[in-house]
Amino acid sequence: MTELLAPAGDLERLKIALLYGADAVYLGGKDYSLRANAKNFSLEEMAEACRFAHQLHKKIYVTVNIVFHNKNLDGLADYLQDLKNIGVDAVIVSDIIGVKLAIQKGLEVILSTQASLLNYEAINFWKNLGVKRFVLGREATRDDIIRIKKETNVELECFIHGAMCTSISGKCVLSNYCTNRDANRGGCAQICRWVFKTDGPDFTFMSKDLNMVTYLEDMINIGVDSFKVEGRMRSIYYIATVIKCYRKIIDKIKAKSLTIQDQKYYELILNRVANRDTMPQFYHKFPGVNESYFQDRVEVSNQDFLGIVLDYDEKKQEIILEQRNYFKKGDIVEFIGPNIDNITYTINTILNEDNEEIDVARHPQMIVKLPFKKRLDKYSMMRVKIFDKNDVL
Amino acid sequence: MILGMAFLSALGKMKNKDILITLNNWQDKEELEKLGIKHFVYPLKGFCVGMPNTFLLEEIPKDGYIFINRILDNKGIDDLKKLIKGVTQKGLIFDDLGVLQIVKNLKMEKILYLSHFNTNSESIKLYLEYVDSVIVATDITENEIKEIVTLLPHKLTLFILGYVGSMYSRRLLIDNYCQFHKIKKENPLYISKDDKGFILYENEYGTMFYHNKIFNGLQLLDLDAKYYFINAPFLNAHDIKDLIDETSKLPQDKGFLETETIYKLKGEAND
Repeated sequence: MTELLAPAGDLERLKIALLYGADAVYLGGKDYSLRANAKNFSLEEMAEACRFAHQLHKKIYVTVNIVFHNKNLDGLADYLQDLKNIGVDAVIVSDIIGVKLAIQKGLEVILSTQASLLNYEAINFWKNLGVKRFVLGREATRDDIIRIKKETNVELECFIHGAMCTSISGKCVLSNYCTNRDANRGGCAQICRWVFKTDGPDFTFMSKDLNMVTYLEDMINIGVDSFKVEGRMRSIYYIATVIKCYRKIIDKIKAKSLTIQDQKYYELILNRVANRDTMPQFYHKFPGVNESYFQDRVEVSNQDFLGIVLDYDEKKQEIILEQRNYFKKGDIVEFIGPNIDNITYTINTILNEDNEEIDVARHPQMIVKLPFKKRLDKYSMMRVKIFDKNDVL
Repeated sequence: MILGMAFLSALGKMKNKDILITLNNWQDKEELEKLGIKHFVYPLKGFCVGMPNTFLLEEIPKDGYIFINRILDNKGIDDLKKLIKGVTQKGLIFDDLGVLQIVKNLKMEKILYLSHFNTNSESIKLYLEYVDSVIVATDITENEIKEIVTLLPHKLTLFILGYVGSMYSRRLLIDNYCQFHKIKKENPLYISKDDKGFILYENEYGTMFYHNKIFNGLQLLDLDAKYYFINAPFLNAHDIKDLIDETSKLPQDKGFLETETIYKLKGEAND
């Protein structure tokens, strides 16, 4: 199995992730999920998510990965039964009571990275309880993964892209101490992004983000089954871009047609969409100075996302687009979409909702129309023309 | 009798209880025994993080408890398998569930310390099917601890005093920081932001952050537990005595015993 697994903070992100090439999506409900302050899904929305995914022969996994306090156990069994009833494909759990109840309800269980799994014997403990799949700690090295696969022959899910905890997952309560927000119940305030004082230079310990493009083929070869992208609170543009890149890379690996040029091109795009540097972390070597930030830094938000396609008017041959960032006549842009190769486009005409020609789309979420000869599907996106693949090497 | 207990000093209460304390050096042992402490926990060399003093297995007495708080990789598991074969010590306190797989058939007392897990009675009950006792996490309130103890009397180990690990990274954060800034390595390293502070201690297996205020949950001695745990890295016997006597000037707090953590913010998407 080679599964591309995407995050989704809401239904729109979920649809985008699946349409842009994810094989499965993980999401959180309103309770019991480690992103308590993401929008998250109601049961009805989860049911719709399942319908949407299953129509496409794709899967939905629901995170139930908080560390429960006694009062959080109220309603847990019923909630898991509801998840079973609406047809979720698995739940992602870290606390043993969640594992036991989920298995009792007949749900497939994926053991969360919060369980800090770095060795085969720990996996054997959970395997004996009936867990089928394991999200390894982000600290697992290539050798660790090979040995774990050999000794346990379980399904392995590994992170390939996105933010890293500086801590071993599940072993951090800095947020609890600094903000009273419970990190292990979804309230993490990301204290590892703070700047601390010492007697010497300021102390920071923020990890750079993960990016496994270089090692993806090797990860497939050593037996990783599911390739997980982090980021349930990320934007739709981020999700679309990252998932589309990894979809292309995986497909090319399978077709044995991935070139160094491809790899470089996708790395450039992935680095551009992130607001931090991305690189491999523990897989191939122990992370050192280069894998973390040691000075305060300003995170620049990406302004490349110019608009999302809402509809296409076949008769007028026009795209109906919702603006997301400033653009103007004369700009050279690029369309990306679920079922298209990237299309370069020069903006010569912009019409507002009243069909009046305008020079600039400056207002967030304003609706504009752009002449376009070819049909573009809903959820296609217009972005700044970033790189041309032919220019990469 | 129960009323009388309430007026006993912490030291008085401790004399009747089974206290487990991590040991830093042999000099402290005798002093700690005078406080009525009988059970000593020895951080095992090569299998601990955040512990400045560790012991070889052969140094640990037969009545001692071995302490393994590392999250182990495969090599760590293999090394431990070889090391622990003929183990004769009384007990073992550990975090990684892989360790349980190795020691499950050994005749020794097994105490599970999953740092920030074990915050509810049902999970603890399940783990008690595999181990002799479970250390209840320090991330919950006194009332929550009381509720768990009531449901599982005589079985639990309560963390009552000492430094609480608040973050454990596999990275060498002090080393990297010092390398980056080209400064001499300080280990432990003290960091702070406003009124929050942490003590960092690093070895080749990673970096442990401790909250800089010593957790003082001596009031938990009133609850009916199997053991009461003191985690004492950086603390000598005199520090411990002063903390118990309530004469210590070291910064202390009650962790989350009286302050419940929150995890959903008012006004945000989930309300």
